[in-house]
Amino acid sequence: QSLEDCPLDEDEDAFQALGEEDEDIDQFNDDTFGAGAVDDDWQEAHERLAELEDKGVPSRDPDGPVGNDGDVLGDSEDALAERLTRLVIDSDLEDPAIMQAVHTSGHSQPGALNSSIWDSSAVLRRIRGPLLAQEMPSVSVLDYALPQRPPQAREEERDPSERALPRRSSSPIIGSPPVRAVPIGTPPKQAAIPNFNQQVPPRFPPLRGVRDASRGVTVSLPSSQILCPKPVHIRATMQQRYPTPYGERMSPNQLCNVPNSSLLGHPFPHSVSPVLTHLQRAQLLGGAQALSSHQAGRMSPSQFARVSGLVGSPLPSVNPKLLQGRVGQMMPPAGGFRAFFGAPPAPPPSQLPHPPGPGSHLQNLRLVPSLSRPLPCSRCPPLTLPALPRPQVFRPDTTHLHPQHRRLLHQRQQQNRSQHRSLNGSGGDRGGHRSSHQEQIRKDPYANLMLQREKDWVSKIQMMQLQSTDPYLDDYYYQNYFQKLEKLAAAEEVHGDGPKKERTKLITPQVAKLEHTYKPVQFEGSLGKLTVSSVNNPRKMIDAVVTSRSEDDETKEKQVRDKRRQTLVTIEKTYSLLLDVEDYERRYLLSLEGERPALMGERKQKICDMYDNLRGKAPGQDRLSDDHFMQIMCIRKGKRLVARILPFLAPEQAADVLMATARNLPFLIKKDSQDEVLPCLLRPFSHVLYHLPLGTVTSLVQQLTNLPQSAAAPTNPHLTAVLQNKFGLSLLYLVLSRGEELQSSDTNTELIQDNQWTELMLMATRELLRIPQGVLAKPVSIPSNLISLFSRYVDQQKLNLLETKL
Amino acid sequence: LAALPRDRPALSFPAEKHLVLLRDGRTLIGFLRSIDQFANLVLHQTVERIHVGKKYGDIPRGIFVVRGENVVLLGEIDLEKESDTPLQQVSIEEILEEQRVELQAKQESEKLKVQALKERGLSVPRADTLDEY
Repeated sequence: QSLEDCPLDEDEDAFQALGEEDEDIDQFNDDTFGAGAVDDDWQEAHERLAELEDKGVPSRDPDGPVGNDGDVLGDSEDALAERLTRLVIDSDLEDPAIMQAVHTSGHSQPGALNSSIWDSSAVLRRIRGPLLAQEMPSVSVLDYALPQRPPQAREEERDPSERALPRRSSSPIIGSPPVRAVPIGTPPKQAAIPNFNQQVPPRFPPLRGVRDASRGVTVSLPSSQILCPKPVHIRATMQQRYPTPYGERMSPNQLCNVPNSSLLGHPFPHSVSPVLTHLQRAQLLGGAQALSSHQAGRMSPSQFARVSGLVGSPLPSVNPKLLQGRVGQMMPPAGGFRAFFGAPPAPPPSQLPHPPGPGSHLQNLRLVPSLSRPLPCSRCPPLTLPALPRPQVFRPDTTHLHPQHRRLLHQRQQQNRSQHRSLNGSGGDRGGHRSSHQEQIRKDPYANLMLQREKDWVSKIQMMQLQSTDPYLDDYYYQNYFQKLEKLAAAEEVHGDGPKKERTKLITPQVAKLEHTYKPVQFEGSLGKLTVSSVNNPRKMIDAVVTSRSEDDETKEKQVRDKRRQTLVTIEKTYSLLLDVEDYERRYLLSLEGERPALMGERKQKICDMYDNLRGKAPGQDRLSDDHFMQIMCIRKGKRLVARILPFLAPEQAADVLMATARNLPFLIKKDSQDEVLPCLLRPFSHVLYHLPLGTVTSLVQQLTNLPQSAAAPTNPHLTAVLQNKFGLSLLYLVLSRGEELQSSDTNTELIQDNQWTELMLMATRELLRIPQGVLAKPVSIPSNLISLFSRYVDQQKLNLLETKL
Repeated sequence: LAALPRDRPALSFPAEKHLVLLRDGRTLIGFLRSIDQFANLVLHQTVERIHVGKKYGDIPRGIFVVRGENVVLLGEIDLEKESDTPLQQVSIEEILEEQRVELQAKQESEKLKVQALKERGLSVPRADTLDEY
């Protein structure tokens, strides 16, 4: 083959060499597209390649034979490269990467030797082929995040292809099946890298490197971006590209060959910070993985956690390739190699001096001895470097996930931080304890599996779920609970001087209320409106019509049932009103000054409504009938409702309610026998009582005892029933006590009242005496002034009896 | 994770032991390594702890990946307080035996109950028609 005949004589004229290169290229062409290719049908191959680009499926192109050829070709290209580099004036650049870079840059010089090569359409085609093939081998999260890029990529290719080395004549093989969709749980990458969604280098080289088989990876970068758009052909097996002066260390050239290595084509970024695109980063990170055989398919933001720090970091213009060629290392934000081996925040900075010039990379290279391993290495890259202050433990048993070293770095950083913290004595004992704890279990390699970013992401999701425009509406119990706790804490604090325990309160994000008026979808030009039913605009499925039943047909039971139902409805309505009224206080505090009178007015109105509901609306009618009220009171919920409403009612209204209750007490007692809810009324009743004048009290007692009966009646069933019931008795006592209070406090009581009162008292005492002890109910509380009350009306003997009874 | 201020961020080094209660009643204790928005958990060096009365036993289980919907609660174990419990740790066999005994006793009492109800003409709702919890 003419390839082998390619002269390596140094003295040969470069142009001549180039001429011969033409032949080589033709040969390359043949191999790829012509007869030499296994697949004779170049169209098919091309289509496959095109498909590759579209779908990102790496196709296994004719691998074997072409690959072999490729190697051979590569060798010859090596020779060419070598020859070309000797043309380079700058002799400082000994570094192979530099040479290579110069090589590429040399091509861009006008009138360069290479123009004939690089400009040839054949070359372009050849370049593009691999480019197409290589470009989107795998789908990643970014795929759906960013729009498709292939057309743009092709454009880019045209530009940088002149500078790119023609790496391969054969189509590149991306060996492993593509890494497909990221698991759902992972946070999206672009969340943390907002800068990078301009143009879309959407796809990544497969993160799982198949070292042997993979051929090349092209990275297309947005040209408008700072970093050059560079399709980078990376040879797979160009082990001997340059004689490596660095021993077993993987030369950057080797790194070139490593798939997913993040070598970028352009050696000299135009003195701007290499803003890395997703692709680059992926490569960076992918490169990290490349060295480890454990290529988890998962692309996760954790990969970018570090890299995002690289945004805007001005890498030295010298050799970004080299920098990024640090397979398995991340570019620190600090730039240069400084934080190369350490976590960015707490890097061991002094280890790697910022490379001032081309010469320094050598040094840096030397510092990478253990980093770069020969490809077949199946261990994760050891991060122990002599430069490091703290040698990192090599994790032998990592069988799974991807950016291990990143995690290690992060973990180291965490160690650093937490050690700092503990050393600083934050938390005092706790810190000290923790540091010793740390010393003991220092080597927990599984900690920090989740990066802070991921944790923040999950937290963010959870907080978003807590967003609410009206927390009292959405999360009433939570709010109330914490209010109670706070009150308790405040009370405690007031009492004791102990250290106030920090109550960590979750501050939920508050979202402003936005009024969304839903407008149904309308299309222009359509006749009429479309009936599109959606969540906001549901379609009516059932025609539910309310039919009122005729009164005649109903049986008595039905009527009763209906009445009960109506009562229930009334109770519910009143309850809503009540809840609203109770809420007014809070709203009052939250509202603006101008709105407050309106609020108060509303509140008053609602209270009136409540009362009306209770007593039965019928303003024209004389409120003689307690029927409505009784109905409500027969229902357990109704009783509770009344108890809650009472505080809001005006005194007269409250007294009215009380009277009604007292009047019908036996009935209520009978109805309450199962529920026993009446005592709940006691407290509000007592509150009401304290505001009642004597007259009312008297009539209350009257009601209670139902005295208009003939005094001669031996028994007073009303009173008896009252006395026998806990609630009744308690209520009676309360009323009596109130009366006594009034009497004793105010000596100017009216005589009429006195008479009535005296009579009532006599009656009451008589009854009390008469009733056997056992039957007497146990009241909730016995007011203390009852004895004094009774003492006015009975003699001592009876008083003693009464006392025993009470 | 991050909302509540703490001295140490969650899921950090040194790792904290967490206790997870599952819907089926199991108690898992392990190092929580990862979590997501569905409360799916990754537990490392997990131990299933069975409690019977005052005794408990640990069964080492390895790595657990728990689907979020099955998690009832998750809490961090205070390593200092972990040691002073009134509970007594026993061997696995013993605790399993105890559990079996307890289960048996429960079943028998359940049977008696059902029997008694049947005698009185009342029917017991079948378990599958009931909601689980």
